[in-house]
Amino acid sequence: MPTPVPPDPLTTSPGTTGLRVRLFAGLREAAGWDERLVSWNEAGTAASQDAGAGDVTPRSLWHQLQLGSVALPAGLRVAVNHAFAHPEQPLQPGDEVAFLPPISGG
Amino acid sequence: MVEPLVPQEPAAERVPLLEVQLHPEAFEPPEVLAGWQARLTALQGAAAAESLFIGRVRGINAAGEPIEALELEHYPGMTEACLLALAESCGLGHGVAAVLIRHRIGRVLPGQAIVLVAVSADRRGPAQRCGQELLEALKHEAPFWKREWSGGRGTWLTGNTPL
Repeated sequence: MPTPVPPDPLTTSPGTTGLRVRLFAGLREAAGWDERLVSWNEAGTAASQDAGAGDVTPRSLWHQLQLGSVALPAGLRVAVNHAFAHPEQPLQPGDEVAFLPPISGG
Repeated sequence: MVEPLVPQEPAAERVPLLEVQLHPEAFEPPEVLAGWQARLTALQGAAAAESLFIGRVRGINAAGEPIEALELEHYPGMTEACLLALAESCGLGHGVAAVLIRHRIGRVLPGQAIVLVAVSADRRGPAQRCGQELLEALKHEAPFWKREWSGGRGTWLTGNTPL
């Protein structure tokens, strides 16, 4: 298991209406964390500074959390509330967003 | 006398019986299959056709080095939901009677079963086609990640072996 990261301004207390962000496999290890709670206000502020319509999206979260460049890497997939989703899908408070490295099951 | 052609009503869609389970510990496919077949026989009678696939961890990696283990990570909740949705979709698409998926998670040793897919149907064609399609779908659409351990080092795999 990765070493827990200290609280930072993006991390809110459980129960706050925000967004839960999850990472898996090599992506989790590269980032050094597996799960974060992001406040809706922080996500909205970051999204408004991003290019685009200003919606909070998986892509804006990716950029906000400094997981990589503005564009998501090829092969990386996104899930919202346990369903595959488009990186530009507008999010809602309370959503769980997961960034999924290339899948290799079976 | 030639009977006039009458449009046929489509056959009622038969929802296949689905069993999906993740195993954190080793499982023996013959035992799982025996239990599944007994349950199906009690519910539907003996199947006319069954297709089976058992995938095991190979002992050598692509570089020809011995593999110590494969580590299987998954996304709790989403992985199970994906497997169930794929089983239902493939099962309905091919009109089969039942679908079974068992998949390992955690550390899996060479020779141990990593996946078992079984399909029961009235005919061999649907059974085999459904099994093949479902296996390929779960390899690419169900959130699992493999880390290959070899020489004491773990490497995340970014794709599947060729068909």
